[in-house]
Amino acid sequence: MVRVGIMGLTGCSGCQCEILNCEDAIGKLIGKVEFAYFPLAQDVNDFSEFDILFVEGSVSTNLDREKLVKGRERTKILVAVGTCACYGGVQSQRNDEISLDEMLKAVYGENKLDLEVFKPMPLSDVVDVDYELPGCPLDKRQFVYTVASLLNGVEPFFPKIPVCHECKLSETDCLLLKGIPCQGPVSFSGCGAPCTSAGVGCQGCRGNCDFPNFDEILSIYRDIGLSFDDSVKFLKVFRGKTISGLKVGFSDEKGA
Amino acid sequence: MKRELNVNHLSRVEGHGAVDIVFENERLKEIRLRFTEGPRFFEFITRERLYSEIPKIVSRICGICYVSHRLASAFAVEDAFGVKVPREVELLRRLLVVGEYLESHALHLYFLALPDYMGYPGAIQMAKDYPNVVKRGFRIKELGNKIMKLLGGKTVHGENILVGGFASFPTEEALESVGNELRSIIPELEATLSLFDSLDYPEFTSEVSVAVSVDSKDVTEFSDTVSTSDGVRFTRKEYELFIREETVPYTTAKVSRFEEEPFLIGPLSRVNLHLEELHPAVKKEISLLKTDFPSKNSFHSNVARAVELLNVAYRGVEIVEELLNCERTPSKISVEPRAGTGYGIKEAPRGTLYHRYSFSDDGHCTGANIITPTAQLQAAIESDLRNLTETYSSVSDRELRKLAEMLIRAYDP
Repeated sequence: MVRVGIMGLTGCSGCQCEILNCEDAIGKLIGKVEFAYFPLAQDVNDFSEFDILFVEGSVSTNLDREKLVKGRERTKILVAVGTCACYGGVQSQRNDEISLDEMLKAVYGENKLDLEVFKPMPLSDVVDVDYELPGCPLDKRQFVYTVASLLNGVEPFFPKIPVCHECKLSETDCLLLKGIPCQGPVSFSGCGAPCTSAGVGCQGCRGNCDFPNFDEILSIYRDIGLSFDDSVKFLKVFRGKTISGLKVGFSDEKGA
Repeated sequence: MKRELNVNHLSRVEGHGAVDIVFENERLKEIRLRFTEGPRFFEFITRERLYSEIPKIVSRICGICYVSHRLASAFAVEDAFGVKVPREVELLRRLLVVGEYLESHALHLYFLALPDYMGYPGAIQMAKDYPNVVKRGFRIKELGNKIMKLLGGKTVHGENILVGGFASFPTEEALESVGNELRSIIPELEATLSLFDSLDYPEFTSEVSVAVSVDSKDVTEFSDTVSTSDGVRFTRKEYELFIREETVPYTTAKVSRFEEEPFLIGPLSRVNLHLEELHPAVKKEISLLKTDFPSKNSFHSNVARAVELLNVAYRGVEIVEELLNCERTPSKISVEPRAGTGYGIKEAPRGTLYHRYSFSDDGHCTGANIITPTAQLQAAIESDLRNLTETYSSVSDRELRKLAEMLIRAYDP
């Protein structure tokens, strides 16, 4: 039996829900795989050792960090699932703009929490990660593919080609040509482009494709009528630290 | 002598929680329900963002009830900008809620709650002995997912749900097929209701007296007002005047009170408050149950969820019929930002949800407040836990711990 663990840190549990949505695959795995640790789904859990440990969520507190470090020590393979675990998630989109104290003050006022809180970090800031399955949420076919590959001793492989490629395959008209802000040209595909086929621009929830050309996409957004600041904020939502370097000009700041 | 009973990691709940029950000289001294989820600063990260980005960002508060966060935030933005969406958009949003409830309640009932009552650690283990029961749970969940994917674009965090409407509408054929599937799931939902009615729930009477819910006949309808079981009625703009939040150091969720007291929200409160407004077919089913509504037993939240499942399916069939006869309108109406503050309330599967945003004249967010069901329930759950500990003072620590977990789970925090 292959011992699998599914663990959640700071996040929305959406990725674990997508894993629970893999009904057929879970059915087939029973008998080959033992879900030794999966607190969202069961109350008897053994955290002692794993062959594969899937981790969802960002590292945002001392509890997250302790759990992750322990998990890393006890597993042969560690897989980051979802954008929070891979890049830090939506909660990390303003990490480069402001200090942790200001964030805490904005939400909790002068009150102190018992927990030690960090700026949200991806797993790879704390431990070595073997595979990353980004996406908000992760794509369940990629989860099944990863489990199946690892069970059969095959290296899972995810080409970092842009989402535009998937729009071509599904014959979806280019939304940028219609003036709809879309992050497809700079985003990592593998989702099957469900957003663009519904007529919504790609939101970049899976992070960067290889060699993203941000200068070019920013000039396209300018032509569509989006300001530079709004364009950068739009690109930053899911990319966490992988987009640091692109800075919002705060000359017109009034809000915070 | 001090004695502490702790559950350090609540399992089969969506977030991260822990509970401490502290006794001193064999008397109950303190109950602490701690949500240890790391803070994610949503009220802060939405600031300076364009209004159109808000539903997408706050969707990520919850992977199970994302539809509620998207809609409550869209309502708030539309309120701030004085936008009124066409009937067709409203109906599709209501159908989306049908999908959300099918998924969320089925997940809770079959995968998080049922294993306790059947004596299994989880549904995966339960599936070996009860494959058809677990399959039924999957089937209901799947239909919910299918509706959310069709209307939202994805099963979780669908991006097609926007301020002003949708980027695109589903085809008539797709809607017809949803209508047919909703009709065909009704026997499964009736079976769900009789299964959850038949379970042995612990004897328990909640001392939390006030129940709160959005003022609509059921969860698939939206409203601008909130009503309480003691006859108070307030508007979404008054929400923060009635529901007061405070930060306590041991939990990252804020604690809410209504008139200084804990209050109840969620499926049991809704069914208790709107019993007469349920679909006639559901009312008939309820009259045959062994569970009596209105009920003060918090464990009956599970029966209430099963009631709501059946009710949303009947409403879903009606919504699809109206949609198919509805005049076609553009899927999204244009939105002109202006300076101001907007408010949105919605019944999320686990209770009333509130969003407030303020905007500058060019549509950038200048401030936000979000009050989630879990935060509002914290005080009520603590009160129930105190009550439970006193009611079951003679049982073993192990049994008490198990009962406490089941009670917390019944609120689906």
